[in-house]
Amino acid sequence: MPVRTDDDLLARNYLKALQHAVDQRMSRRDFMKLTGAAGLGLLAVPGGFGCSSPVGDGFSPDASELSLILLAVDEVKSAGADYGDVRISRHWFESIRSREKQITGVSSSDSYGIGIRALVGGSWGFSATHKLTRDDVIRTAREAVNIASANNKIAPSEVTLAPVDVTKNVYWETPHEIDPFEVSIEDKADLLFRTNEAALSVPGVSFVSSGFSSVKEARLLATTDGSLIQQTLLRISPSVNITAVSSDRSDFQSRGAVAEAASLGWEYVQGLDLPGNAPAWGEDAVMKLSAAPVDAGKWDLVLHPSNLWLTIHENVGHPTELDRALGYEANYAGTSYLHPPEAVLNKLRMGPDFMNFQGDRTQVGGGATVGYDDEAVPADTWSIIEDGTFVDYQTTREQAAWIEEYTGITRSHGCSYGQTWASIPFQRMPNVSLMPGEDNLSEEDIIAQTDHGILIEGNGSYSIDQQRYNFQFAGQVFWEIKNGKKDRMLRDVAYVGRTPEFWNSLAAIGGKDTYYLGTTFGDAKGQPGQSNAVSHGCPVSLFRDVDIINTA
Amino acid sequence: MPQKTSRYGLTESETRALCSRVLGLSKADHARVQILSGWRGFTRTATNRVTTAGGSEDISVQITSGFGKRLASLRTNSLDQAGLETAVRKSEDMARISPENPEYMDELGPQQYDTVAGYYDSTGDLSPDARASAMNYAIEQARLTDTVAAGYMDVRAGSMALATTNDLFAYHSSTGVASTLTARTPEGKSSGWAGDQGSDWRNIENERIGIDAVRKCLEWRSSSALDPGKYTVVLEPTAVGMLMSRMLGAFDARRADEGRSFFSGTEVGENRIGEHLFDSRVSLVSDPSSRDAETAPFSGEGLPARSEVWVDKGVLRNLNYSRFWAERSDTASKPRPSNLLMLGGSDSTSDMIRSIRRGVLITRFWYIRGLNPRTISYTGLTRDGTFLIENGKVSRPVNNFRFNQSLAELLQNVEMLGRSVQVCASENSSVSTPIVAPALKVRDFNLSSVSDAI
Repeated sequence: MPVRTDDDLLARNYLKALQHAVDQRMSRRDFMKLTGAAGLGLLAVPGGFGCSSPVGDGFSPDASELSLILLAVDEVKSAGADYGDVRISRHWFESIRSREKQITGVSSSDSYGIGIRALVGGSWGFSATHKLTRDDVIRTAREAVNIASANNKIAPSEVTLAPVDVTKNVYWETPHEIDPFEVSIEDKADLLFRTNEAALSVPGVSFVSSGFSSVKEARLLATTDGSLIQQTLLRISPSVNITAVSSDRSDFQSRGAVAEAASLGWEYVQGLDLPGNAPAWGEDAVMKLSAAPVDAGKWDLVLHPSNLWLTIHENVGHPTELDRALGYEANYAGTSYLHPPEAVLNKLRMGPDFMNFQGDRTQVGGGATVGYDDEAVPADTWSIIEDGTFVDYQTTREQAAWIEEYTGITRSHGCSYGQTWASIPFQRMPNVSLMPGEDNLSEEDIIAQTDHGILIEGNGSYSIDQQRYNFQFAGQVFWEIKNGKKDRMLRDVAYVGRTPEFWNSLAAIGGKDTYYLGTTFGDAKGQPGQSNAVSHGCPVSLFRDVDIINTA
Repeated sequence: MPQKTSRYGLTESETRALCSRVLGLSKADHARVQILSGWRGFTRTATNRVTTAGGSEDISVQITSGFGKRLASLRTNSLDQAGLETAVRKSEDMARISPENPEYMDELGPQQYDTVAGYYDSTGDLSPDARASAMNYAIEQARLTDTVAAGYMDVRAGSMALATTNDLFAYHSSTGVASTLTARTPEGKSSGWAGDQGSDWRNIENERIGIDAVRKCLEWRSSSALDPGKYTVVLEPTAVGMLMSRMLGAFDARRADEGRSFFSGTEVGENRIGEHLFDSRVSLVSDPSSRDAETAPFSGEGLPARSEVWVDKGVLRNLNYSRFWAERSDTASKPRPSNLLMLGGSDSTSDMIRSIRRGVLITRFWYIRGLNPRTISYTGLTRDGTFLIENGKVSRPVNNFRFNQSLAELLQNVEMLGRSVQVCASENSSVSTPIVAPALKVRDFNLSSVSDAI
């Protein structure tokens, strides 16, 4: 049975990929931000995180787009809206999928249109069309205002929008060297085939599927306040899933690769060395077939960032959405255990003193990283949990005033986002990250702190209740830790817990060298449902006495 | 949104013309074009007022070009001549450089489809004001009872069309509406939910939704602790529908033949068609023309979607076969279920409750995620009304639970079935694949841990 000896392989691969990206393009300062090292150093310096790429240069909207967006803004104003914002955007998506030695799908799409949001009193109206003529834009703008007015008549209310500086004629783009849409399908297919072949070279591996998804968005935003902003956003998501079937067909086990999505260019994928890593993932899949079933009970958990990031998404990211906490998402995504704000802000103890969470939309590579949000608010970095205490939520311009009394913060944290031109912008999750520890502990140092533990890598099945208390998360690979050392592989592991107890059981965190960003394009919220891209950074972390169940 | 002068979405003749334009531009060996067109409107309420409302309209064309077994597809909504030409050329360029897909099957020629009338003007003509008025009834119910309403109405109207260079043409127009409401006490100590989904607005019972959600919320107040464990449960139709919607993808023959499914046989290439796998009262069928649960009578590649029996009185009768897998298996291709109807029985929910000495009544679920496809196991949580049943009566509201449950075992453990109704089975309450399900009494349902969420 092959045994992997490199404990830190996954984190190292990721850092290697980032280093590659850095070599290609980024300054050391950007890299430090990406790996979180600068995050600690700059925490005490508000504003230390600037936008991650220069702004100002490159503003060059198409003349007809510019004329249409300004027409829409004028129409919204003259129809009587208190505020309005307009997006003209084009969204490109490309996907290539393979299994074993064949391509199973190549597809791409582009979608172009205008979405207009209007505020009348306390009600929002929205209307969007793919028809970009002057008449259609005028009709659509009036429709947005009419819907808002009608709803405000049913139940009049008021909204106070947080102040924002007017930003005019500014351009921002995702830092990248190679636009993934400039890389040929042949080159992408070749990389997938080499990856699949490498995985299938492992005896016992029966199936492998892999693919790349690429996203590019060209967004032009204008507000009735006078802001006018052009942005180009890029994202790429590699995936590899390897399955081993037992010789008697009674069982099969899969291993999803630890190859995170990121808001970066193709150079990031090149740096991941998928073919070089696929055999190790394949060996994991085979080893899972004969791994020892876990004994249910209390175990210490060492969570690798490739697992922990999604836990953070679910039980720190979601409950700190302010609209959710106040009941605006009660009919779908749910509410929050962080409620009511006045009872928890600056009062609720979430974890140990060394636990700091940061909300941010500036981190290089982060899924939610932008120059400006959909209300023209510049990307921000702020504390959500400071020295173990809950201190702030995620906000938009409408929401900042709701808690200003308790936070003393009058401005929006810039969390407004609509998925496409056809989606109404609302509060979406920024990158929410657990900052690395100052003692700079390595993964081995963390493992050495438990005699009876399980190391979990990768994301498996995950599920959490609608107030974010009860969660059950699995993983991809599980290693038993005996007397401070990584031992045999386990299987069928899931950890179950209650969020407040879970974070209060945090006993140790790794240093910046163990920090790693996990990313999803599929953060779901809202009705109609919208997807948001978001990342969560974290170091390797140790939790004490967590309930483990056997999922077989 | 456009001024309403006719139905939303392109007409059959408009799609025929657009398909011809696109296929006329094609220089590939073969091509397929799919057109989606229509409108989507929504209204949301929260904190007892309408918070957001809006709509969007779009027409998009997907062109799949192929040279031999090399193919690629591209979707665009730039429909002027230049936009279409660019899209067709780009899909061809992508196809030429794409590696061969050995599993590609030639485009289908003309097919016979059942006629499905799924477009209801009652839904397509619904105005934003009418949506808001309907939801305002629920807000009034909430105000009267000192509860707080958060609701959603999702309305869609449009058409889809499919054509190939082998002269296939398919067209279907449809409407769909989902209306849901969550009522909570102001301090967040109780929550109730009710909802409906259908094709025809006239069948959406908004008043009942308002009353039921508020009633659930009031009934569930002051919930107290109950230990986790295996219980006999009464699952209301929405709870059953949310679980059964997971069966839509479970009938794949290839996964079964390759050893990756509950329906896998013991040898490679074998599956369990013909085996008695579930309780004899369990039947699962799909039917594109089921009233108010209509779906397109064709699949994405143009295969006819017909009324199909997947499980008949506990016996697995069919699995779905892609065209490639059907040819390899020397059988007929069959698309995956277009909708799912679990046939019901004659037991009322109160009959079920009366028959239980100790059990749990469950309103609906949340965050359902797969655990093991070999046992069709899922985890998830109860939500919006969970009650203890003792000695034939609902005795008290209790905490929510996480469940870890094999759906195969659940279908083996069915003890009583109610009348089947269409439910809103999606977790985000949007219009989704129609699911028709009865209330069920099921023994040994695994409520594995407590959830404090309300």
